[in-house]
Amino acid sequence: MTPPDATPAAVDVAAVDTAAPPLAQAASAAEPATEPAILLERVSRWYGNVVAVNDISFALAPGITGLLGPNGAGKTTLLHMLAGLLRPSSGRIRVAGQSAWRNPGVYRSIGLVPEREAVHSFLTGREFATLAARLQRLPDPSAAAARVIRTVDLEAAADRQIGTYSKGMRQRAKIAAALVHDPAILLLDEPFNGMDPRQRLHMMDLLRSMAAAGRTILFSSHILEEVERLADGVLVIVAGRLAAAGDFREIRRLMTDRPHTFLVRSSDDRRLAAAFMAEPAVFGTELRENRLTVRVAEFAGFTRAVARVARDASVTLYEVAPTDDSLESVFAYLVSRR
Amino acid sequence: MTIFATIASVTMRALLGRRRTLLMVLLAGTPVLLGLLVRANDAELDNIGPTIDGFVVRIVLPVVALVFGTAAIGSELDDGTAIHILTKPIGRSTIVAAKIAVAGTLTAALVVPSTVVAGFLLGGFDSDNVGVTFAFALGNLVGSFLYVAIFLVLSVVTSRGLIIGLAYSLIWEGLLSGLLPGTQIFSVREYIGGIAQALAPGAVADSIIGGGGFLYAAFALVIAVVLGSVRLATYEVRGAD
Repeated sequence: MTPPDATPAAVDVAAVDTAAPPLAQAASAAEPATEPAILLERVSRWYGNVVAVNDISFALAPGITGLLGPNGAGKTTLLHMLAGLLRPSSGRIRVAGQSAWRNPGVYRSIGLVPEREAVHSFLTGREFATLAARLQRLPDPSAAAARVIRTVDLEAAADRQIGTYSKGMRQRAKIAAALVHDPAILLLDEPFNGMDPRQRLHMMDLLRSMAAAGRTILFSSHILEEVERLADGVLVIVAGRLAAAGDFREIRRLMTDRPHTFLVRSSDDRRLAAAFMAEPAVFGTELRENRLTVRVAEFAGFTRAVARVARDASVTLYEVAPTDDSLESVFAYLVSRR
Repeated sequence: MTIFATIASVTMRALLGRRRTLLMVLLAGTPVLLGLLVRANDAELDNIGPTIDGFVVRIVLPVVALVFGTAAIGSELDDGTAIHILTKPIGRSTIVAAKIAVAGTLTAALVVPSTVVAGFLLGGFDSDNVGVTFAFALGNLVGSFLYVAIFLVLSVVTSRGLIIGLAYSLIWEGLLSGLLPGTQIFSVREYIGGIAQALAPGAVADSIIGGGGFLYAAFALVIAVVLGSVRLATYEVRGAD
């Protein structure tokens, strides 16, 4: 990824990867000035004293990008700003070459799938899609609705009221309404919530085919595996800041190779601690309350060495457990790198 | 189907499909019930103006308009369903006008017939009372749309539209306009009284608005639509993380 400006912070973000498929290359003076599908320049959003989104810049071209971060990281705020539903407190947002804020015309190019389940429950799925088609001023709303109902595999329930739908069916109804005008840009907030595995695979195939057809798709998730399976590129957002951006594999490697802390229980913790300190992958040990804590510089190197070190020291291992493998701690590490 | 009609149709279904509509029908029926009670006692009022003004204009109409006006868009903004309309390439004034039209029509559909029936039951077919009845019916027709417009704007501006709307009706119109007559030029109730007074002299005790009620009401309606459209254009979703 290349950021739209050359601020130090943006360069740090860009350092993760420089050739991720969906993230737009910055236009140099020599290149033709084609604006990315989505462009954010130093965008922040705060509510009183609380900063929800902090100085984020990126640009997206066609393809699928995952917006990854823990709950409360600012993903929804960011998507709402992109969808023109929130005004940025500072910075600039361009979507489909237009400002998203106070510009209803931009919705001809955007399809939004909000996270909240709220849908007019008295409408049937077909009526809901038809409503969206009418409001988009499509020439044949009924045909457009029938097409997207088929696309999201909701035909069997299309004439039932949405109030009777399961969570996954509501999600598909919302996606149908967002796709009805065949938008160039699709913004999805936690789109796979409530879907069963089969529906999830179907939806992933659908999004991939849309991306292959030149659409720009940005979806948020707090589940690493979802992003891994679907996204070409990834934006990691933590506590309102862009922690990393670029190719998913590179970020995945950073997440795996970061410093880790392990708790170890063995037949002789003191001897094992001394033995670990001779290993290059280990940079610290601590003995406290009959527990050995080992800080390692590299996850893979330590896991390869731990059994050998214990065997060579004639110590029996009872337990080896990473202590900081939550997604939040992974994200916190990525933020601390910046 | 036009965009206006599409939004109006969804709004109508949303407003009619809930229990509150039944409650509003019952509330709008209370003046008729009062008229039936009067009839049952073989009584007839010489001047129905104060009764219609005190009961229908001051209580029934504002409450029905408050419920429909705030529900037309405020409820959708609160529960998130409004996003599906706001994220479409539609002018915000179209959304506001369609919702005012629907909520105003529903309010008028309940309150105006109630006014007419109650007027006949209370005052019989005496020509003066018939005049007063139709004067209030027209005033309530205008008031239905204006009240709804004001309450709808309040619900766009704040998530506490219902409470502020109630405060407007009870405190501003109920209390201040009596103590400070100058505030009557910002009172829908006084516009209705002015319209009734202009059409049927003696319909209300006194009115500083008079026939200007039509003008004030039209002006206030336009202001409400413009304010609502501007505010909706800068509306920011609630409850983002």
